[in-house]
Amino acid sequence: MSVGDYIRDSQIWKSVFRHPAPYDRRNRVVVMLTNFFLHLHPVSIKQQGIALSYTWCMGGITFFLFLVETITGVLLMFYYRPTLEWAFNDILALRDVTTLGIMREIHRWGAHAMVITVWLHMYRVFLTGSYKPPREFNWVVGVILLKLTLLLSFTGYLLPWDQLAIWAITVGSNMARATPVLGHEGPGFQFLNLGGYDLITNASDARFLLLGSRFVGEETLNRFYILHCVAIPLAAAGLIAIHFWRVRKDGGISQPL
Amino acid sequence: MNSLPLITSWLSLGSLEPHPNVTPSVIFGLGWLYLILFCMNVAWTWRSFHKGHHIDLPAFARGGHIPTAAIWATYSTVLMLVSLIHFSCASSPDSFWFIMPDFAKTAVDAVVADARYYFAVTTVGFVLMLLFRNWLAQPNIGWALLNLSLLFLTISLTDWDFRQIVGKPDNVPIVAMLFIVGFFTWVFFYRANENDRRSAQGRPPVEAENNEKVLTWPDLVYTEMICMIAVTALLILWGIALQAPLEEPASAVKTPNPSKAPWYFLGLQEMLVYYDPWLAGVVFPSVILGGMMAIPYIDFNKLGNGYYTFNDRKFAITTFMFGFMPLWIGMIVLGTFLRGPNWNVFGIYEFWDVHKLEALNNVNLSEYFWYGLGQPLPMAPAGSEFWTQAPYILLREAPGFLAIGFYLVALPGLMAGTIFKKFFVRMGFVRYMVFSNLVLMMAALPLKMVFRWAVNLKYFIAIPEWFFNV
Amino acid sequence: MPLKPPAAKDKKAAAGVDRRSFVALCFDPLVLAFGFMAVTSQVWVLALARFMFPNVLVEPPTAFKIGPASDYPLGGVSTKWLAARGVWIVHTDQYKGRNLIYALASVCTHLGCTPNWLEGEQKYKCPCHGSGFYVNGINFEGPAPRPLERVGLKLAADGQLEVDKSVKFQEEMGQWEDSNSFVDGSLA
Repeated sequence: MSVGDYIRDSQIWKSVFRHPAPYDRRNRVVVMLTNFFLHLHPVSIKQQGIALSYTWCMGGITFFLFLVETITGVLLMFYYRPTLEWAFNDILALRDVTTLGIMREIHRWGAHAMVITVWLHMYRVFLTGSYKPPREFNWVVGVILLKLTLLLSFTGYLLPWDQLAIWAITVGSNMARATPVLGHEGPGFQFLNLGGYDLITNASDARFLLLGSRFVGEETLNRFYILHCVAIPLAAAGLIAIHFWRVRKDGGISQPL
Repeated sequence: MNSLPLITSWLSLGSLEPHPNVTPSVIFGLGWLYLILFCMNVAWTWRSFHKGHHIDLPAFARGGHIPTAAIWATYSTVLMLVSLIHFSCASSPDSFWFIMPDFAKTAVDAVVADARYYFAVTTVGFVLMLLFRNWLAQPNIGWALLNLSLLFLTISLTDWDFRQIVGKPDNVPIVAMLFIVGFFTWVFFYRANENDRRSAQGRPPVEAENNEKVLTWPDLVYTEMICMIAVTALLILWGIALQAPLEEPASAVKTPNPSKAPWYFLGLQEMLVYYDPWLAGVVFPSVILGGMMAIPYIDFNKLGNGYYTFNDRKFAITTFMFGFMPLWIGMIVLGTFLRGPNWNVFGIYEFWDVHKLEALNNVNLSEYFWYGLGQPLPMAPAGSEFWTQAPYILLREAPGFLAIGFYLVALPGLMAGTIFKKFFVRMGFVRYMVFSNLVLMMAALPLKMVFRWAVNLKYFIAIPEWFFNV
Repeated sequence: MPLKPPAAKDKKAAAGVDRRSFVALCFDPLVLAFGFMAVTSQVWVLALARFMFPNVLVEPPTAFKIGPASDYPLGGVSTKWLAARGVWIVHTDQYKGRNLIYALASVCTHLGCTPNWLEGEQKYKCPCHGSGFYVNGINFEGPAPRPLERVGLKLAADGQLEVDKSVKFQEEMGQWEDSNSFVDGSLA
């Protein structure tokens, strides 16, 4: 008996994998049905639907990059403190001192790549008309996911707390000042007042909500950190699950009707 | 003995010229780039040889024909020679001659360093792409275009300013994105043309043929795994090659010049030049997102579901591509590569001079109107109450309100009776109004750009008192 | 999409039935329960939104003294307080011909970048989108929709000038006439 057979016959192996290796047709079906990670897929699938020249694999790569960002992000969190005192120094240390500080590079370039692959996925889905009935709703979910991807990238931009970060966020978040009615420099904010006092000021408007402060400062850093590491990833993970579920329920990868 | 002048020339280069166009290491690096191009073309020559295509010569050349492979082989040889020139001349950058000539730099800069020409060129290029899609979608033409753009990039790298802007680590993915978007657009046209030809012959699209079900294991899961490994390898190589940028520690009072939003928002930042923040930063992004979500509920065309086609969905694809390529990607390129200090537009070979002057005196529509009538602007008595001021302000801006009202309310009605007649009949009132307003909002950006360039228009409606500028 | 759903033909009759049963519907236990739940969750959403607005802000004091008026001679823009406090102290007669000292907030009215004071060109120039302001703070080029804002400036009892950043004065709203927004330049 070879070592491989010995391992595959052991009780431990069999408790994890409930069937023989997918060598024959029957077990190739069974593996898709019993494996948690693989059961996202159908058992069989149309040949043209999985052709690379049709799908460009962009949705799959986007999801994979989301996983890469999650893993590298969790690793980076071990060496990063979101405070004015430490944020910049911690990034410096990641660059100069930490073993395998390349995690930060992978995280950043992966984020850039994810923005591009999300766009290309949308481009492909549009060009193949895959948003048409019965997939209208999944397109809507996809647009929200696109927005979440951009927000993830945007909130992460502040965290190194260098000049690039603070000014990109200042320019970006100052637009919220101008939100109609809800921003203190937006048209119509005057309508929200009580007895002559403006309800919308620079300490109560949409930008204040985003920054947690009247200027980009420590509260903002903390807020963006929580959004970047917890709030938006959770929302994105939930929507990704719905997105994948609906791909299956709406008839799989789109095909000519 | 030979090495002495070499060393002195290196030293003098370093001390005299702070921004050298070519240095030994640049020339050496370019040699490698040409060598890679050579290898790519050897592979393409091999492919052409096996396909056995040839080009028919015109009659005056006695009607012979040349194998395509011969042309690519010649081209590859030239690339090989160019690469060798780089390797052998790397030691003497002062006399190096294989560089982007100055007249070409001036010509390119004259076009791209002006937002008007830039926008005109991208738009015309987009229209040409749609018109000549059948011709462009041939593999040999696509390959030639890829080579041309790579050659342009490579020879441009002999310019110091170009290297600064393209070589910035955060800009590298944008350069890559241009090639990737170009490639996939080509793939789209290639497959769409094939299907459109089939459709004309009454045959089903490629996607409907040979479309048996296959098992997901191994056909799909292995593709996925190879993709994952390739992406991981790419990220690791990318991470090793380029360090993530880290600038000086944040300072709330020292604004860098220029200050740019993250690159994927530079399209929005470009809008800020033409529209106020409440529109460009809040309303338009919301409209873009809402409009994209509305697409499946607006598009009533049942054709083109699940296969590549252009002819079956001409309007939808043209509109979407126009929004994606000249407006979104094009504006990102403008914001990333061409916007420099003080948000002035610079050419790709131009030095980012902080003192470049550009007149930016703009005039409001209300000023055009009232001064044109020979009247002063209607103005309330100084220090008057809000409700006394309001009618004066509204009167002052009446021309703008009429123009916007016409654009968003009357124009959809006019279009419903004329160019969008078919759409109106198929869509019904509510859907048509949503659709037409979205299209008009999308057109609002290029329209304001044209007005700004043509007559220096600042605002259609200018009410800074209420933060309401359009 | 058909223009009229078939049910619409009997709209009037249907509406009559609805009207009679509407009051009863309001007291239906199920409707009441779900209505109550909807209202409660809306209140929760609003309360959570309020939760995200902090009540205490840690910020430096907004009022500070900047020395006697004689430190700021006519025709100068002082960048002395720019780095620490974000204001320029301007002494100029370029605004309506009056000799005034006032404090301009160093925040561009376009998107809040910090403009640079260019002594040679005698203007404030914003690096973000190229807005330009004259020495007196009035916008003249680029996308900035309105002049820079003044903050409070007064002569304190000890003869020093005192800046108060908690108040702001906007030119286009006529607030620059407010005597708290400037100090007479002849004091210098």
